[in-house]
Amino acid sequence: MYVKVSFKLNGEDVTVDVEPNEILLDTLRLKLGIKSVKRGCERAECGACTVLLNGSPVYSCTLLTVQIDGMEVRTLEGIQDTPEVKALVSKFVEAGAVQCGFCTPGFIVTAYALIKKGVEPTPENIKKALEGNICRCTGYKKIIEAVTKAVESIK
Amino acid sequence: MIRFIFGRRNYYPSSGEIMASIEDPYVLIDKWLRAKEFIVVGKGVARTDAFEKALGKAKYVEDYFQSGILFIKQVLSTEPHARIKGINVEEALRKPKVVRVITASDIPGENQVGYALPDQPLLAEGKVRFHGEVVALVVAEDIDAALEASESVRINYEPLPHILDPLEALQRKDVLVHEEVGSNIAFRTRIRKGNVEEGFSKADVIVENEYRTHHQDHLYLEPEGALAIPGLDGRLTVITAAQYPHLAQSIIARVLGVPASDIKVIVPYMGGGFGGKDDEGPLTAAKAALTAYLTGRPSFILYTREESMRTHPKREATIIKYKSGAARDGKLTAIDVTIIHDTGAYANRGPFILWRATVHASGPYHVPHAKVDGYCVYTNKVYQGSFRGFGNPSVQFAAEAQMDELARKLGMDPVEFRLRNMLRPGLTTITNQLLDHSVGIADAVEQLAKVSGWYSKRREYGVSTGRFRRGIGIGVAWHGISTSRGVPDWSNAYIKIDKDGSVTAFTGIVEMGQGSPTSSHRQIVAEVLGAPIEKIKVTFGTSDAPDGGATHASRGTSIGAIGVLVAAAKIRERLNKLASELLNCSPDEVVIREGKVYVRGDVERSITWEELIKHAYSRGVDLSATGYFFLPKGKFDDTVGQGQAYPAFSYVAMIAEVEVDTETGKVRVLKVWPALAAGRIINPQQVEGQIEGAAVQGMGYVLMEQLVFDDKGRLLNPDLTDYVVPTALDVPEIAKPVYVEDLFKYGPFGAKGVGEMALIPAPAAIANAVSHALGVRITKLPITPEAVYFEVKKHGLIK
Ligand code: FES
Ligand code: FES
Repeated sequence: MYVKVSFKLNGEDVTVDVEPNEILLDTLRLKLGIKSVKRGCERAECGACTVLLNGSPVYSCTLLTVQIDGMEVRTLEGIQDTPEVKALVSKFVEAGAVQCGFCTPGFIVTAYALIKKGVEPTPENIKKALEGNICRCTGYKKIIEAVTKAVESIK
Repeated sequence: MIRFIFGRRNYYPSSGEIMASIEDPYVLIDKWLRAKEFIVVGKGVARTDAFEKALGKAKYVEDYFQSGILFIKQVLSTEPHARIKGINVEEALRKPKVVRVITASDIPGENQVGYALPDQPLLAEGKVRFHGEVVALVVAEDIDAALEASESVRINYEPLPHILDPLEALQRKDVLVHEEVGSNIAFRTRIRKGNVEEGFSKADVIVENEYRTHHQDHLYLEPEGALAIPGLDGRLTVITAAQYPHLAQSIIARVLGVPASDIKVIVPYMGGGFGGKDDEGPLTAAKAALTAYLTGRPSFILYTREESMRTHPKREATIIKYKSGAARDGKLTAIDVTIIHDTGAYANRGPFILWRATVHASGPYHVPHAKVDGYCVYTNKVYQGSFRGFGNPSVQFAAEAQMDELARKLGMDPVEFRLRNMLRPGLTTITNQLLDHSVGIADAVEQLAKVSGWYSKRREYGVSTGRFRRGIGIGVAWHGISTSRGVPDWSNAYIKIDKDGSVTAFTGIVEMGQGSPTSSHRQIVAEVLGAPIEKIKVTFGTSDAPDGGATHASRGTSIGAIGVLVAAAKIRERLNKLASELLNCSPDEVVIREGKVYVRGDVERSITWEELIKHAYSRGVDLSATGYFFLPKGKFDDTVGQGQAYPAFSYVAMIAEVEVDTETGKVRVLKVWPALAAGRIINPQQVEGQIEGAAVQGMGYVLMEQLVFDDKGRLLNPDLTDYVVPTALDVPEIAKPVYVEDLFKYGPFGAKGVGEMALIPAPAAIANAVSHALGVRITKLPITPEAVYFEVKKHGLIK
């Protein structure tokens, strides 16, 4: 019992047949070949699966694909050439903010949205914005540092 | 031990008669240990994997999954202790798209996967021993079908009385987790050094306390998974997240009853391990391999977060009874320690964990008289296993609380008291091991006290009677390099240089976040060969590389890279000789640096790296080598726990500053200062990353992480909502680490282990800081707001 769902993915129109209970994370990973979204918990608890839905960061594991019909989804693949993501990636690498890397795409998507929103890059604002993303490796210090530097370099 | 081995004379067609180059690993390790100037070692070289990971292009196990591959769903026990009277799979098999249901009786080889003791099946057989134990595997065409059918597997249990408390388990003989053992004691350890009665008789102050520490889940962000593909490359190939590909290979071979050479294991990028995937990884791999073997089709298993938390081994929960004495001059006289590890349903690596706790029980101090008894006790709970620190954080927590209490009774400053007892070269450990080199901890602690402003803060804090109270505490710890006691340990790697001058190193060390293959290994190869670092690639995590041991015990670089260094050094000797002929100088005068080959002091007499390699190919110089090195170990007598426990130790200290809200009970760690005496720092940026990550993981352990079990031993919080780990909002300020580079004679360039270190003193440092803030001794972890609240009430700390 499939349902046809159409949405914009990284600027392109896509139409997929999905199960009514299928989560967006599965549709992206298994049907559309989007591998930057990671499966860490499937319970909206870790942020590894973060994507942009109409520009705002959301957990793709808590959305049913049928819910997003007609909406716009962007993943790291779709924003990797933006100046914001380029700055973020290079600052993450420079700062040593990447260890196992499983959390990193989620952090970068979240940080991208933060920059786009034009939030004042105080440590408190950055920490608050990143609160929904868990990293078990780095202890966050270098991630916060990388995001701060990326925001500054974009200004 | 320095030995020179001169091989027989070789004949090279164009170069006449010359001596074979040096191949002895001792000579090569020593030669590079003495290097004074470095090209890339010691620099914060960026790791090769960072870009692809940041862009989401790095591949982890699940990224290799495709539709059409069978999906495996595990059926977990719903009883803590029961006999399995029967398993009815009929209904499950009738479900659509179900291919097979696999139970213990389907296993073609041995259903035995215990690492330390042969007590553990891959799939439960005869009985189940904890709520969550894997009983069957349901295999279906897709995940939904497997999930649905897994609910229709009917297991007929005959419940047995179960036991959850380790102290009770220690006493009882009527309820046995493993009947064949005859008690619930899986393993015992002991140390007898000197005479503790005599030691205590010389003590002017004695402190005696009981400490308790709790379980911890690794919570690596990537849950366990494995993909097994029959026939790929002529073998059964398993792509999995395991910390030791060769161990996964041998476990799979045992379960299937096939030669290890029929199995290939590849470990791609891993989303965190922390020890958990050292234990669970091979089992995950074996489940996928078993399914692929029985069905003849590619098979995939992926744990949900809940499944992961219910089944994989945890950091051990402990009860530690600790008595120690010191004389008025501030010298320790004796310790008497009993360590009880709740190992849960299986021993797993429990005996090794207990050994590590036992031999480290004193902390990094000289104690003339020591008695330590360890018990690894079975209970009907999810079993314990490897987790960053491996039995050491809990015992250092106890040892360091004792040190603070002794100092208090003696009226001494805690740092001062520690320094008086600290291990230094020439002193012996509690296993009576004489430390002859590489003991830099005293220097590290002195520096740390200075940079943290210890002495003044220690006086100023801890006196407030207001709502918010500050405290500062220290934890000092040590951690033996390599496996405990005389257990054999070795390193190996294979390196080859291709015709274009590009270099590949093959290692079984995995990349699980720590970055050794993608940073330090490359730096070591580049340094030793002199090749440009961009030309060096490390192929990691493959069982096709020579077995060089696991990526655990902080050995990815400290031991894992010895093989890399030796292999590179062998090739370098050959290249030096060739270059000396080409440039008309002696081999000692050859400099190879960032791709340029020249005569020392005469940069003009040079060729390029590429030219040198071309010459090597045309003149019969072998540009491939393995780097086997077997770590020399001394004798160890298990019956009294005396002898050489480790070839060397890494040392670590942490000072933590906290603020305790006496009304809410909340503890905030404001700042931590780490110090490390871990030999040569190959890559400061990566080392810093390990320290920061471990410090925060340790802070989470001490303050917030807590697994809750019900009266059937069922885990009640197998998710991230109720099992709380630190987020960006919780991180304290972390100071730049203090490094003392106390070189280890067998380490690559003198490096010792780093990965686990900063977690080990974290519980001690934070608990000691909270104790300082409140003026009340904390003896139990975790220090949650409730725990603090009860301490505040009990001691009437607020009016
Ligand atoms: S996988 Fe979606 S939040 Fe964890
Ligand atoms: S880098 Fe491993 S979880 Fe963040």
